[in-house]
Amino acid sequence: MKNRLKVLRAERDWSQADLAQRLEVSRQSVNAIETGKFDPSLPLAFKLARLFGLRIEEIFEDSDQ
Amino acid sequence: MFCSSKSPAVRRFARSCWMSAGLVVVLAVGAALVFRFWHLKGLLAYPVAVLPALPILWVLFETGRFLAVEKDEFQRNLLVQCLLGGIGGTLATTTAWGYLEAFVRVPHLRAVWIYPIFWLFVVIAWPVVYRRYR
Repeated sequence: MKNRLKVLRAERDWSQADLAQRLEVSRQSVNAIETGKFDPSLPLAFKLARLFGLRIEEIFEDSDQ
Repeated sequence: MFCSSKSPAVRRFARSCWMSAGLVVVLAVGAALVFRFWHLKGLLAYPVAVLPALPILWVLFETGRFLAVEKDEFQRNLLVQCLLGGIGGTLATTTAWGYLEAFVRVPHLRAVWIYPIFWLFVVIAWPVVYRRYR
């Protein structure tokens, strides 16, 4: 699933490790989500949305549409 | 294995796996020595013979605990994929070997080797799974 994580992270000058720490996950998890190789669960997607102050659909792109 | 992540759950699980592997070896050697020198027979022989298999239950318990406790769903996903690799590899290998035994008369594979074979496939699966998410 495509997403804007890398851009959003860069806007805040956060490294993958910084974001991982805020999400309480490993850096590999952030990398896997960012590169679209791993789709986060709904709770993690909500956590991401809360962290960036956005809605889920503003971060993730529905690839079926 | 499991060393690139530093979460307490991962560390605990890895430690349990290594300790249980060591315990299997120690108990297997211990049981072999007991049977060799004391020629154990009767009812007591059964629990002593089964003793080396008990650490497997510990690993099963720790696996369940890891999947319940680890907050990082990606790490849980990695472990599940590795375990599936281990299960699939073991099923395929032992089934193929069974047919070889039946039809080609290759040496008999003793069931005690199934557990080490499983972990061998888990260890093989780990870098393959990891590379997918690099």
